[in-house]
Formats: sequence, C-alpha cells, structure tokens
Amino acid sequence: MTDRLRRLGRRIAVAARRVLRVAKWESARASGGVDRKTLAAGVALLLVAGGVVGVGVATGVAGLDVDRDVYRVGVDPGSPYADAIEAEPSLRAVSAGRASLGDTADAVVVTVVRPGSEDGGAIDPGDVESVVVRATDTQKGEAAAASVREAVEAHNERLMRAEPNRTAAFPVTVTLRYVGRTTGFDEGTTLGGDGDQTSDSDGSTGGGSDGGDGGSDGEGGSDGDGSTTDGVGSVGGSDGSDGDGGFAVPSIGGAAFGADTVGSPGSITPPFPFTSLLLAFVFLVPMNFLIQAYGSSILDERTNRRGEPLLVTPLSPAEIVAGKTLPYAAAAAVVTTLIALAVGGGALSVIAVAPVAATFLGATFVGAMFARSFKELTFVTVGVSVLLTTYAFVPAIFTNVTPVALVSPLTLVVFDLQGEAVSAGEVLFSTAPMAVGAALLFGLGLGVYREEDMFSQKPVTRKFLDALAVRLSPVPTGGAPLDRRRLRALGGVAFLTACTIPFVFVAELLAVAVLFALPVTVSIPVLLVTIAFIEEVAKSVGLYAGFERGVFERLDGVAAGDGDGTLRVALAVGLASGTGFFLAEKATAVVQAVGLTDLFLGRAAFGDVAGLSGLPPLALAALFFAPLALHAVTTGLASVGASRGRTAYALALTLATLGHAAYNAGVVSLG
Amino acid sequence: MIEVSGLRKTYGDFAAVVDSDFAVDDGEVFGIVGPNGAGKTTTLKVIAGLVEPTDGEVTVAGFDASDPEMRRHLGFLPEESPLYEEMTALSYLRFFADLYDVPREVADERIEAALDRLELDHRERRLGDVSKGMKRKVAIARSLVNDPDVLVYDEPASGLDPVTTNSVLAFTRELRETGKTVVFSAHNLYHVESVCDRVVVMNEGRIVARGSVDGIRERHGETTYRVFTDVEPTATLALADLDAATAEVGDRYRTTVPDMDAVAAVREAVADAGGEVVDIRSREPSLEDVFLDIVGRPMPGRFTGDIGDDADGDEDDGADRESDGGGDGDEGAETAAATATEATE
Repeated sequence: MTDRLRRLGRRIAVAARRVLRVAKWESARASGGVDRKTLAAGVALLLVAGGVVGVGVATGVAGLDVDRDVYRVGVDPGSPYADAIEAEPSLRAVSAGRASLGDTADAVVVTVVRPGSEDGGAIDPGDVESVVVRATDTQKGEAAAASVREAVEAHNERLMRAEPNRTAAFPVTVTLRYVGRTTGFDEGTTLGGDGDQTSDSDGSTGGGSDGGDGGSDGEGGSDGDGSTTDGVGSVGGSDGSDGDGGFAVPSIGGAAFGADTVGSPGSITPPFPFTSLLLAFVFLVPMNFLIQAYGSSILDERTNRRGEPLLVTPLSPAEIVAGKTLPYAAAAAVVTTLIALAVGGGALSVIAVAPVAATFLGATFVGAMFARSFKELTFVTVGVSVLLTTYAFVPAIFTNVTPVALVSPLTLVVFDLQGEAVSAGEVLFSTAPMAVGAALLFGLGLGVYREEDMFSQKPVTRKFLDALAVRLSPVPTGGAPLDRRRLRALGGVAFLTACTIPFVFVAELLAVAVLFALPVTVSIPVLLVTIAFIEEVAKSVGLYAGFERGVFERLDGVAAGDGDGTLRVALAVGLASGTGFFLAEKATAVVQAVGLTDLFLGRAAFGDVAGLSGLPPLALAALFFAPLALHAVTTGLASVGASRGRTAYALALTLATLGHAAYNAGVVSLG
Repeated sequence: MIEVSGLRKTYGDFAAVVDSDFAVDDGEVFGIVGPNGAGKTTTLKVIAGLVEPTDGEVTVAGFDASDPEMRRHLGFLPEESPLYEEMTALSYLRFFADLYDVPREVADERIEAALDRLELDHRERRLGDVSKGMKRKVAIARSLVNDPDVLVYDEPASGLDPVTTNSVLAFTRELRETGKTVVFSAHNLYHVESVCDRVVVMNEGRIVARGSVDGIRERHGETTYRVFTDVEPTATLALADLDAATAEVGDRYRTTVPDMDAVAAVREAVADAGGEVVDIRSREPSLEDVFLDIVGRPMPGRFTGDIGDDADGDEDDGADRESDGGGDGDEGAETAAATATEATE
C-alpha cells in the first residue's frame, strides 16, 4: 500500500515536472511570438479599454460625479427650493437675480410670495403662493426642469424621513416581499380564463388569479393606482388588491403574447444591479484576449505538423496539453485576482470566475483541435466568446429576481460585489456544471490529440465524431451475456453518455434562462421539446459516432445473417447509454439546493417529485425509475436508427424526441 | 532492436499497411523504400509510437512501441520539419532536451556536438529566419538530444539541395559508426543505396521485397541487352519465347533482350526481315530499375527514360524473397503473389 502510494506520488511528481517544463517553454514561446511593437500596441489597447471601463466603474462606484453641475438653475437663496437644488449634484445654483434664462441659467425657479411679505431676505414658507420653474425651450432646458423636479421630490422625501412622527410622514406603509412567480397553469387553472380575483390579505400569494383579466397585475401596479411612490422603490402589485399580489413583476401588457401574459423581466422593478453587473462583466473581458492567444498556440501545433515531435517525447498528450494550457490558466487567475482586488470583490469572485475561465479555455481547446485553419479558429473563438459571455452575463442580470440567475457563475460575482452571502449549495450549483463541463471539453479535445487526428484536415463534424468514437470500444456479439469485454464496452458507452450531463445541464439551464422571459403558453411547450431534443441528442450522438466510425458494426457492413447481431448491439448500446444518462441525471439533484424547482419552468426542466410524497412507495419507485425506462426506449430507438445510417438516425432521433417530449408533458401535468 | 510482426494499419476501408513483418538489428541502417502511398511513413510512425496499429506487434529496444518509456530510446525525424519559428535553434533544442530530462550541461554538450557536425551556424537566430536546409539540420539535431539507441528518419534528405543532401546522408552513415540503429525511408533510391545495409521495398501497403541492396539488385535487376536494328525484327517464335520487347527509336528499332542467346535470335530475325544489327549495348540495372521491376511502375517524379520497356509488371519470383527478420518464407511468397496480381491489375 505504502509502495503503491509512493509510486503514485512519484508519478504525479514526474507529471507535474513535465507539465511545468512545457508550461515554461510555452510561456517563452508565447512571449517570443509577439514582437515588441505588437505587444506595445496590445498593452496600449488594453490600457485604453481598461481606462474606459475604469472610468465607467469609477463613476458608479467611487462617485466621481462626472454629472456634477450639469445644469445651472437660478434660485433665490431664500427660496424653499434652494436647499433641494443645493443638494442635487447635477444642479448648480446661481442667483435668481442675476440669472438670465438661456444665457447664464438653464432653468430659473420663480417663487411667488404673497404681496407685502417680502422682507428682502428669507422667504417664509407660509408666504409662498406658488413656485414656478421656467426653463429654456431646449432639450437641455427640459432636462434641467426635470432634474429640478426630481431634486425637489428627493428633498421632500428626505424631509419626510427626518420627521420624528413617522406615521404623520408616511400614513400608508407598504411592505414589499418578492416571491417566486406563480401562474394559473402552475396552479392547474386555465390560462386566459376568468380569474377569480381572490387573493390573500397580504397580497403575496394570489397567483391563481393572474390569468384572468389580462394584466390585472398591471392595473394594480405602481403606474396604475398611484398608491405608492417611486421614491421608495415601490413596485406594482404591492397593495395586493388585484389578486396578483404575489407577483413582483408587473404585466408587460400582453402586447406581444396576448392578454394572459403575466409579466416579463423587462418590466421587473427590483433593484437592477447595474454597477455590480458592469464590474462582473469586467472579469469576462480578458478572457477574450486569452482565448485568442491560447487557440492560436494550439492550432500552431497542428499547422504543418509542428507539434509532431512533441508526440514522440515521453510526455503523454494530457501532460503536453496541461503544460500548454497552464500559462493561460495562470494568466486568467492572476488577471481575475487583480480585477477582484480592483473592484472590491473577494475570494468568491475569483472562485466563481475560475470555471468560466476554464470553460473559455476548454471550449477554445476543442475548437482549436477541430478547426482546420486559423480562419476557422477565428469563428471558433468568436463563437466561444459570444456564447459563453451570453451564458455568463445574461442570467446574471436577474440576480435579484430569480434563482435562474445562478445558472451563471457571474451571478456569484454580483452577489459578492453586493456583499450578499451565498450558500455552499448555490456556489456548487453555479460553478459545478461549468467546471465539469470544462474538464470534459478538455477530455474531448484530448481524444483527438494524437497524430492520426491532429494533422488531418477533416471537417469539424467528423473530428467531433472521431473525438467521441475514440472513447468507445467494439461490443462483442458472441459469447456469454456477461462477458467481461462486452460489459466493459457497454460501461464505456454509459460513461461517455454520463459525461454529457454537464453540457445537457448547461444547455437546459440556458434554455430555461432564455425562455424565462416568454409567457408560459409559449415557453412550456417549446421547453419540453427543446429539453427532450437536447437529451436525446446527448444520449445518442456518441452511439451515432460509434456506428459512423465503425466501432460498432453497421447493418450494411455485416455479412448476411448477421443483421440480428447488429440489432442486438444497437439495442444494447442504447440501453447502456440510457442507463448512463439516467444515473448521471440523478446528480443534477443539486438544482433542488437552490430552489430552482420552485420555479415552474425549473420544475418542467428538471422535474420534482416533492409534491408526490403522498403516493405509496411502489408508485414512488415506479416514478423514480420511469425515466430509466424512457431513456432506454428512446435511446434504443435512436441507436437502431444510428446503426442504419444518417437518415435513419435523424428519423429515429425525431421520434425519440417526440416520445420524450410527450413523457415530459405527462410528468409536468402530474406535477 | 526493432521487431515488426504482422503489422496492419487501416483507416476506415483503406489499408495503409498490410501484414508487414521485418526486423532491424542493432547498429544497422535499414531502409524502407517505395513510392508515395506505399505505407513507408505509416510504418515508421507505428515504430515511433505515433500511430496505433490496427493489428500486429511492434517492439523497439525491448519496449512495445506504444509504451511511452520506449520514446526515451527513440529519435524521430518526420518527413517535414516545421519548427517553432519564434525560437532559436539553441532554445528549441534545449526545450526538447528538457522534455527528455537531459541535464542542461549534458544537453548543451550534445547540442553543440550535433550542430558542429552538421555545420549549423546561426544558432541564436530565430528558426523562422533560417533556410530549409538549416531547419532540417536542427530537426536532425533534435532527434539526437536524448542520445537515442534508435533513430527513425522519414525522408531525411527530401527537398534539400545537393550539398545539404550529401551532408545529411553522410551524417546518417556516421550514425551507424556510433552504434545507432537507423530506420530510414526514402523514395529516392540513391539515398537508400548510399546509406542502407538492408532494405524492404513497399508497395500499396505491402512489403514486396527485402534484403541487402545488392541482393535485391541481383534478384530483381538483371543485365539486359539492347539490340538496335535498321528494320523491325520479324516476329519469330524464338523472339516470342524470349519475351523480347521492340520499340521504334528514331529511325531505328530497339529490342531489349535478357541474354546473348537472345541477341543472336534478334540478329537472325532482323536478317530475315532484310536488315541488320547496327548496335548492341548492355545495361546494368539501377535500383530504379529494380524498383520498377518489383512494383510495376516507375518511381514518382523520376526520369524513367526507356526503361519502361523493361517493365513487365510480373512478380513471378516470390521464392527469391529473403525471409530475414521477423518474416518467413511462406509469407514472403504469398505477399509477392498478391502484389503480382495487384500490379497486373
């Protein structure tokens, strides 16, 4: 045991030494490949970009007040508005007596007092008859007037807050509580039907009525009844009187999707974490530079077989790739840490960005291994950049709204910058899919990091199939059912499919995040089919690769009479793949940890049997294993199609998707 | 030092190497020759552990070719030698020495020695700025940084100018003197002839001949006689039996025959036709002719001249094959027979 551990330790040390050597030389190479002028230009660009971002960030964070003294407002020092204008940074008070509208002032506050009350000094508020704000008839004048209005409202608000008698100052108190969106569909009522307008007294759980009157919540929103003021950040539906009091989101009015629309993120009024989001986005910017350099380095190894000599050294492909990746990963870590320090983020920000950086690098590695030229690599890096930036950034917009936002690790950064605590489950949920996905992407690319694939000019799709097929072994057709070789081969199939789970998870989360904004009448059917398609592709694409690359024998490739054997193999690998998927799928139970299944879309996507706890154990067991039966049947179907060619595979995949979607719909209606 | 047994490599439906067997002794310079697509490079890459065989076994220095440890004993020179162009020759070679765990002082000694012998200057110049010949020399030096027992060189002198070619070939010959085992592929038969002790000839993935260069020449390339006449010889039964081939060359006719008896038969046939023999020339076979005789087609890109007349594409002497190394006589004969069929087709 000790010897074994010692050997293992020695092996790890040797591997680490090799990786560091490659990393050292890769760093030297990478720096040698850029001449000083290009480097200087790059640094200059980065500084300019950093400066622009920095100014933007500083404006929001450090309060540099670049909008200070934008408008000049003429106001008497004794005017009751004088203090309000003094307190507003964007306004600069000038003496009303010397102010000339359009010349030395953009707006003038004219205080009309009762005749005879002027004493040449301070104005007694009781003597004020009216106050008029006059502005120049220009856009700037209008803006100045609006600013004066806002300044006065804010000033009044401050005065009210300072009032010792709170009840007198605020006779109506509104308590806001944001809850998860509920729908008529969720509660089993008919969408678009007449709502019963019932609601709880606190207005927080009246989800059953939203579909009824077509934007009832909109009527009850802040714009509608005017019962609350913007100044305290009130939101629609807060009074709970419209039967939709549970909604933090006002209706979008059904403009796009009909009157049964219950609201969209566009109409959400909870605090939009603009500054934190902007700062979080800064973490993503350097990734784009890194992947350009990294992708070029990987493709450079493949160009003209430049990397072939490395393959005949004692280093394994994994050591070579790790060594080549390490400098870029280290650069990402350093830059991320520096940004975190600069914007006030902590360790959580660095932890959150790490899997994003790893995924950027992993996706670029695969892309660079599949690309046939630098032209194709450009498409790859741009695609990776756009896709991952979207995936990381868009959900983070909803940080304060919904657990869907935790799909993106960037949401953790926003939380970190806002100083909010997050649970370990939330960190795991947010980072694990991308971290595992990144590892699997590297594994996928490593599958073709060999002479036979690295230097060939195959199309990307063929390379992708090669990368999958290289992980599979032929399934023997004869012998005992539990033959070791057969079990190993089927185990390989199950493992390969299980490895797709992080990507499936990410794709489904993305689908949820994208469809979240749509009304449920549209989003649910689309989501059910989308998810079925994603899962069916994940389960069968490896099998298709196996048949396409000859690992599993196709029907047209076997002698007459051996067709049954091919069919048996197709069904066996289908069953193995379905089982692997089922087992791995159970690992996605982490979504429960963050309450994603509280969302209706989350439940549709990831299932939730929590509401079925009243069922007998046998029924629960049947429900638990029902997905296994589903995956086995649909994957078996797709596998048989794959064993017969591309067209048959496409047809079988379509059928499997439809069957899967029907099953999903059944589960959703049960739930 | 190298054992190749039952090697087979297929890419989909395409068989790159079929049932290949041979062995290379310690300190031997062994050549693999054949036209483009014959399977030479694939064979070398399997030996170097770069390509996994579909079937068969390959051992190098006592290790399986797929064993990463084997690579410590191997130096490989691929057909093309694009290097990391942003590095200098010295830094490039030190990098590879590092990967083989060669201590810096030892590495520097080896690098200096190799570069001195290869007469490589501009060691601190970026590799992107040096000539193709220089790059080739750097690549050769790279194959030596780990002081390997076995060197696998794929077309080492391909595309180089004559001076550099001679330099590279001379260096390869010297390697033998230092006890290195070299496996060497080429489709330029002069290179093979000038360097190799033994060769195998490959065609369409199969070994179609093997042995020493002289042995193969003796077996496959016989001295021929060219009889030039002023009229076309009458097609007599005797000439038909000799399998003589006649071609019109300018205002004369040239009949190629295998021996002096046949020359006499041609003389008689020409006399019958009312003409006479105006010239007789004997011709020693080059390895080029031998190759042509074996594979049934000329070397790609090589001047074939009139030797095309000599080609009969017939591979009827499989029994002549040596069964040295890992192969046996029966397998050799079968291989030759199969090749004969393909060549005829």
